[in-house]
Amino acid sequence: MTAEPIPANARTKISARARLQTDKVTGKPVLLYPEGALVLNPTGHAIILLCTGQATLQQMIADLAGRYRVPPEEISPQVMDFLERLRARNLLEILSE
Amino acid sequence: MNRSAPRPYGLLAEVTHRCPLHCPYCSNPTELAAAARELPTEQWKRVLRQAAELGVLHVGFSGGEPLQRADLAKLVAEARAAGLYSNLITSALGLSRPRAEELKKAGLDSVQISFQSDQALAADRIAGVPAHEKKLTAARMVRELGFPLTINVVLHRANIERLPQIIGLAEALDADRLELANVQFYGWAFRNRALLLPTRSQVDEATRLASAAKQRLVGKMEILFVIPDYYSERPKPCMHGWGNRHITVNPAGDVLPCPTSGEIKGLRFENVRAQTLASIWAESDAFNRFRGTEWMPEPCRTCEFRHVDFGGCRCQAALLTGDAGVTDPACSLSPHRETLTRFVASLGAKPVSVLGAEDLGGANFRQNAAG
Repeated sequence: MTAEPIPANARTKISARARLQTDKVTGKPVLLYPEGALVLNPTGHAIILLCTGQATLQQMIADLAGRYRVPPEEISPQVMDFLERLRARNLLEILSE
Repeated sequence: MNRSAPRPYGLLAEVTHRCPLHCPYCSNPTELAAAARELPTEQWKRVLRQAAELGVLHVGFSGGEPLQRADLAKLVAEARAAGLYSNLITSALGLSRPRAEELKKAGLDSVQISFQSDQALAADRIAGVPAHEKKLTAARMVRELGFPLTINVVLHRANIERLPQIIGLAEALDADRLELANVQFYGWAFRNRALLLPTRSQVDEATRLASAAKQRLVGKMEILFVIPDYYSERPKPCMHGWGNRHITVNPAGDVLPCPTSGEIKGLRFENVRAQTLASIWAESDAFNRFRGTEWMPEPCRTCEFRHVDFGGCRCQAALLTGDAGVTDPACSLSPHRETLTRFVASLGAKPVSVLGAEDLGGANFRQNAAG
C-alpha cells in the first residue's frame, strides 16, 4: 500500500513522536509512540539505533551486514521490511538529499 | 494472586470529570464524580508509579478536561520519571502557551486535540460553546513546540459528510495522526443515538474516503478510522479484551476495566485509596468477571473468533440486552442482533438527509450539561 520504496541514498531518522527505552518488565528495548509500542528484537534495535539521519540506507545495510557477517543482499529485504513497517506507523522520517 | 492476569499496557487517567464542553455524545458517565471527590496529587502520583511497575507503557491524561487540574504538570513529570509515554487528551480549552510549555518541560510526550468538525459554526454547535477557533490556535502552538499531534474527530450523522474537509484540516494543522472514530453508543450518545447514527450509505462513503486518504498520506499522517459497530458483522474487540491490556482510573479513584464500565449494574469497583493497582488488576471481581474466555456463553464459547473479538463489548451487551454477560449484539451471531437491526431499520424510514450540522445542538438534543 506504500507509494515509493525508500531510496538507497535516503537517510532515515526515527520520528520525534517515538521514544526508545528499556522495558522494565522484560528488559528488552521498546519503541513507544502515540497509542502504540514495538518490542524490539536485537536486529530491530540495531536498525533503529542507526536511524539517526546520518547514514544512508545503503550505508546502514552495509554496516549491519558487516556486523552480522551476512551478505548485504541477504539482510537488505529484512531491513527494508522493518523500515516500511516503521514508515507505515509514521515513525520514520525519510530525509532526501 | 491470580496467575492468569495478563500484563496491562495502557492506563487511562481520568483526572477530572470537569469539562468546558457539552458534547451530546460525551463519553463521560451520565453520573459524574464531583470535583470534591477527585484524587489528590500525591495519590495520582502513586497510581502512575504503580501502573509503571505493573508493566503499563502508556498513560493518557483524560477527563473531562484534564487541563482543569492545576497540578497536571506534576502528574506528567511523575509519569515521565516512571518511564511512561504520556498523552494529553484534551479539548485544548485552557491550553495556553505557558501551560503547554510547562507540560513540555515536565516531559509530556504527545498531545491529542478533539475537533467537533472542520467548520467553526457546526463545531461550536456540537460542543455547545465557541471552542473551534481556540482549538485551531492551540493545535498550531502544539506543533510549534514540537509535540506530536493527534487530531480526534468523533463522526456522526451531522458531520460525517465533511470527512474530506476534516482530513484537510488535520493536514493543514500538520497532525501526525488522525483518529476518525464513529460515535460509540453509550451514555449520552446512546440517549441521542437516533440523531447521531450515520446512514449506511454515509458510512460506506466515509470508509472509502478514509481508506484513500490513508494510502495517500502514508508516512505523513497515520489515520485510524472506526466504523459504527451497528453496521458491522463482527463486534469490535473492545479494549482488546476485558481486563487484558487496559486500566482506567476515574477521578474518584475507582479502577475500571474500561471508561464506560461504571455504567454496568452489579459490578463493584475497587478504589486506589484502599488497594494497590496490582491487587485490583489481578484479584478484583470487576476485572476477573469477564477476563479471558471462561465467562463466555454461546455462541462465543465455541466461536473461532473468541480470541479475536473477545465477545465484543460488555457495556454494549448490558445496554442493549440488560445482561453484560451475553454476546455483544453488534455480532451477527448474537441471538440479540435483532435489537440492532430493528433500530437501524427504524432510522432508514426517516428522512435523514434534511439533518445538517445546523440541526445539532437544538432542542432535540439532551446535552451533557455537566461542567
